[in-house]
Amino acid sequence: MRPRSPRGLAVALASLTALTACTADPGRRGDAPPELDRGGAAGAFKNPELRPPAPVPDDAADGGSLTVLTAESPSTFDPTQAYYTDSTSILAGLVTRALTQYVYDPDTDDMVLAPDMATDLGRPNDDNTEWTFTLRDGLRYEDGSEVTAEDVAYAIKRSFAIEELPDGPTYQRTFFVDGRQYRGPFRDGEDYAGVEVDGNDLTIKMRRPFPDMDYYASFPAFTGIPQQEDDPATYGRKPLATGPYKFEEYEPGSRLTLVRNEEWDPATDPGRIQAVDRWEFRFGQDTTRLENVIAADNGDARTTLTYDNVSAATYRSMQEDPDRLVTGTQPCTYMWFLDMTRIEDIRVRRALGYAYPYENAWRALGEIVGVTRVPGTAILPPGTAGRQELDVLGIGGRDTDPERARALLEEADAVGFEVRFLYATDDDGRVAEKDAIVKGLEAAGFEPKPVVSTVDTLRTDRTDPDAPIDVRSSAWCSDWPSGGSWFPAQWSGDLVGLEGMPNPTNFDVPEMDRRQDEILDTMTPEQAAEAWGEFDRTLQEEYYPAVVTGYGGVAMIHGSGVGGMANDNVRGMPTFARMYLAQ
Amino acid sequence: MLAYVARRLVSGVLVLLVVSMAVFALFFYGPADPALAYCPETRCTPERLDNIRDSLGLEEPVAEQYAAYLKGVVVGSEFRQGTIAIDCPAPCLGVSFKLRVPVAGYLAERFKATLSVALGAAVVFLVVGVAAGVLAARRHGTGTDRLVVGASLLLGSVPYYLLALLAYLYLVNDWGLFPDTGYAGPVEEGPVAWAKGMLLPWLVLGLAYATQYARFSRASMVEVMQADFVRTARAKGLSETAVTLRHGLRAGLVPVVTLLGLDLAMLLAGTIFTERIFDIPGIGLSALEAIDDRDLPMIAGTVLIGAAFVVVANIVVDVVHALLDPRVRLGS
Amino acid sequence: MGIQPAELAEPTRDRTPTRPALHQLRRDRVAMVCLGIVALFVLVAVLAPLITRVFGVQLDAGNPARDLDAYNYPAFGPPYDGFTWRAPLGISPNQADDNLAAWLYGARTSLGVAAAATLVSTLIGVATGLVAGWSGGWFDRFLSFVTDVFLSVPFLLVALALAPVLVSRFGADPERLQLWQLVSLVSVLSLFGWMPLARLIRAEVRHLREEEFVLAARAVGIRPGRILRRELLPNLAAPIIVSVSLTLPAFVAAEAGLAYLGLGVSGLPSWGRTIDQAVPFFSTYPLYLFAPVLGVLVLVVALNLLGDAVRDALDPRTRHGAVS
Repeated sequence: MRPRSPRGLAVALASLTALTACTADPGRRGDAPPELDRGGAAGAFKNPELRPPAPVPDDAADGGSLTVLTAESPSTFDPTQAYYTDSTSILAGLVTRALTQYVYDPDTDDMVLAPDMATDLGRPNDDNTEWTFTLRDGLRYEDGSEVTAEDVAYAIKRSFAIEELPDGPTYQRTFFVDGRQYRGPFRDGEDYAGVEVDGNDLTIKMRRPFPDMDYYASFPAFTGIPQQEDDPATYGRKPLATGPYKFEEYEPGSRLTLVRNEEWDPATDPGRIQAVDRWEFRFGQDTTRLENVIAADNGDARTTLTYDNVSAATYRSMQEDPDRLVTGTQPCTYMWFLDMTRIEDIRVRRALGYAYPYENAWRALGEIVGVTRVPGTAILPPGTAGRQELDVLGIGGRDTDPERARALLEEADAVGFEVRFLYATDDDGRVAEKDAIVKGLEAAGFEPKPVVSTVDTLRTDRTDPDAPIDVRSSAWCSDWPSGGSWFPAQWSGDLVGLEGMPNPTNFDVPEMDRRQDEILDTMTPEQAAEAWGEFDRTLQEEYYPAVVTGYGGVAMIHGSGVGGMANDNVRGMPTFARMYLAQ
Repeated sequence: MLAYVARRLVSGVLVLLVVSMAVFALFFYGPADPALAYCPETRCTPERLDNIRDSLGLEEPVAEQYAAYLKGVVVGSEFRQGTIAIDCPAPCLGVSFKLRVPVAGYLAERFKATLSVALGAAVVFLVVGVAAGVLAARRHGTGTDRLVVGASLLLGSVPYYLLALLAYLYLVNDWGLFPDTGYAGPVEEGPVAWAKGMLLPWLVLGLAYATQYARFSRASMVEVMQADFVRTARAKGLSETAVTLRHGLRAGLVPVVTLLGLDLAMLLAGTIFTERIFDIPGIGLSALEAIDDRDLPMIAGTVLIGAAFVVVANIVVDVVHALLDPRVRLGS
Repeated sequence: MGIQPAELAEPTRDRTPTRPALHQLRRDRVAMVCLGIVALFVLVAVLAPLITRVFGVQLDAGNPARDLDAYNYPAFGPPYDGFTWRAPLGISPNQADDNLAAWLYGARTSLGVAAAATLVSTLIGVATGLVAGWSGGWFDRFLSFVTDVFLSVPFLLVALALAPVLVSRFGADPERLQLWQLVSLVSVLSLFGWMPLARLIRAEVRHLREEEFVLAARAVGIRPGRILRRELLPNLAAPIIVSVSLTLPAFVAAEAGLAYLGLGVSGLPSWGRTIDQAVPFFSTYPLYLFAPVLGVLVLVVALNLLGDAVRDALDPRTRHGAVS
């Protein structure tokens, strides 16, 4: 609605910063761009054996208060409705426990899937159509009552009530038994065939194989919700705490105060600590303000942090204090989706991959190369299970090579190929990016034809199947670090031609669809992880349907008194669960 | 008098109706699908989008949505989301798309911050502005006069948001001369914390408005001090101070009252810049965020509340004006 | 603050001849200096393309890959190196555009938009006031109601919500987007600036309507249109000039403020937009912020001082030599 980029997740993602441990010397001017050495199959790691309690660092002060400032404001704290990373991260890290959780591993700087309220990561049957979780003993809510498997079953049933609670994740509708028919406990009552409780055991039944259930079970939607406490209209204002902190005060859109939950037992939780007394979240802050406050590090600012990405202006000054800057990646890949019905020759598509002016386009957008946009070559971002460090073009995802592009075009007899793409003319950065792209493509022998749009209408224009464009620039973020949340959503033949263009390349290759079904329906999670990595490689080598234009990154700043803050690279948020006041 | 007020109230209600229609039209004949704002493209599937669109009630025809809205304002309403109901007591200004809470209640909460800012600033600009103006009028033509006029002209020419921004960036951030700004409830966190957080906003906002009051009251006082009844008082032997304060002020400040009424209304509607720059979670800031979030009920709510304040202020000011100055006839 | 100057609440009752006013104005040194400053700005605005060429700089021609360092800060010139003729005011971070060119063209946008909006709002205000004041009756009541509606609406909010709608509704051809954004910005400013003048003119016309010379003209049978044009308008010159002198600087400030909130004309440099982009760099690259800030400040102050002098010259109460 406004000529400049709207706030919100879309822009938060578009202006992310990520930096690896190796940065150039923080002198007055940085001439050498920061190196990228992040590889990692983080989050891929699973550790079903991780035992409580979580270790408390020696330098952790007991007590105190941490303040979190952010320009955004989470839209909900109802565990069933929590879907965006800010809500899920705050809930999962501090307030509501789920069946499984992600735990940060400082040795690898990655997240590891570990048990939470369940005793392990779930036990599937042979074909992943039935998963059984056993709840630990000694789990309590903030009011002292016991958490039972019935409560978790109720929470699962509650997640089907998409009319009453519309915003949450919907994988249960796709995979669980009767997923499309059951409409939740408020309409259809308690009888739901997909969930069975036997003492502490909870069994979930699927209608098709779901090898990633252990990942999915980390969503706040899999917490315990006692049915008698549930008022769906208001539950999100004060969800019952099973984690180390509980809601003390919540003003939607404004602030959230969390205090210690005395009923949380560290002996039941392998992933969280309870070092500070309070958490103060303040939403809707002004960005320049909050950055300057934290950068100055005076007084209260020492125990203040933000999960917004630091802007270029402040990033530079933080180079002199690198301990206060937390960097990493987010599981998001930016791509130029090439419409396969319009660019049919793979050589032309590959030529686009060589011709795309990566660095110039990123800089024009205001991205700091290697920091706010991390060059990438695989569709699966760092941190995904089974990810291969593949590079089908051999240019590291950043070294534009117009000569090779031209050679390919000549070979395909397609010099002067018209490439039509959208851009928002009312956003300075996008216009500059468009100019860079035009220059780059022309140098390679293409004929770029930018199509005007506006910030407001860009998305509608882009998702119109009949739009007169040949490429679509967009990004996709995964919900958990496995290929299963990447490829089926965007690369299935049955999604072609649907409204909203969920398949932006119109990718329709029956062989690849068969492969996806095979992976989803017949493989164990370990086999699947590897298979998805292979799928990524095959997709790019044989079809090259998209130009990977980098991964999203994270760069968050904090005061000098904040300890334990690392990047949760499954969500791109701070690792709240292990944070404390440093002495 | 009563008939006049009644007529103005009816007219005021009509004004609000027109404003609300305009907001609805604005939103619905606007460009993009509001549901898109709640479905970030990196994780949006068409199914999710439909779901959200449904839950926001965007499927109904505009006229129906508007009629339902009006009904809600008068008698309250109930919002159904599937089988659960969110109660929205009258006056119901809808339920926020983003936060799913009744707008009226939400804004009432945020109003406390706006009220704090408005009242504090009003004290500053009244005291400083009027005092400066009266002083300048007393010393009409001298250096003091020129100083006051010059200073208020200069200060008044700086675009307000720049003033606020630079004041914050330098006085709080860089030089640390002022405590960090923000809203702390006077009841919840004590009046000291409240005053500390509001200090700079009061001063900046107050001084910005004071320039107008200084110039206006100066001009008005200069005129009044030359009027016959003041000359008479002087001739009777009263000291200049007594003349100024007892006789001049009452007449001279009548126009100031007009100004005050309207300015207060504007302030209560929430000054966007002040709230954004000084981090005060008031009504103005909710409006700004609502526009960003395409949150129609919130936008409509804040605009209507702002308009209501102005309408009421207009009526009050006219009535007060009439009471103070018998020469003015209402309804002319 | 705001577009509703309070001074207009008091109409100037006497019809003031303009010649003595001009004479007084010419002798007011402050006013002459300000006039000079404003004239300078106008000159800069008009000759912006020429001046940029003289300095050897270009608008929106940044090459980020070449001119920025790894942190997207300028690789030459301020803030880390000294003054350079290559970019007298430095280049911008992120886009590497020349700041001087942006400043010069920004002056053009600010003055142009403010002037256009002043013109439009004056026309609307005068027309409305004339018709309302002259016709009376229910037509007058209707127009007054419309005026009230516009006065009641919180300007900023609606401006923010309205402008993009205008653009997409009527600027369906994206190629002409810039034009429509300009139109929408000027419209939004004018739509919220005409009311005080309308009220003022209406009050004046109602007063003048009962004057003898008007009654005489009507008795003789001269058509109302002619009366409006030849008898009333000259007498309205003073309040109109006063209004213009107040609204022009107000619109300059408002345009900058709106641009700061994100409501600018894209692709068209504007001081407000530069300020908006420069705020995060206020401590690391202050020149970037202060060049446009000073531009807005000096222009608005000069216009205000000039307007004050014009008002003083036209108002018989403060006119030198008038009997007090």
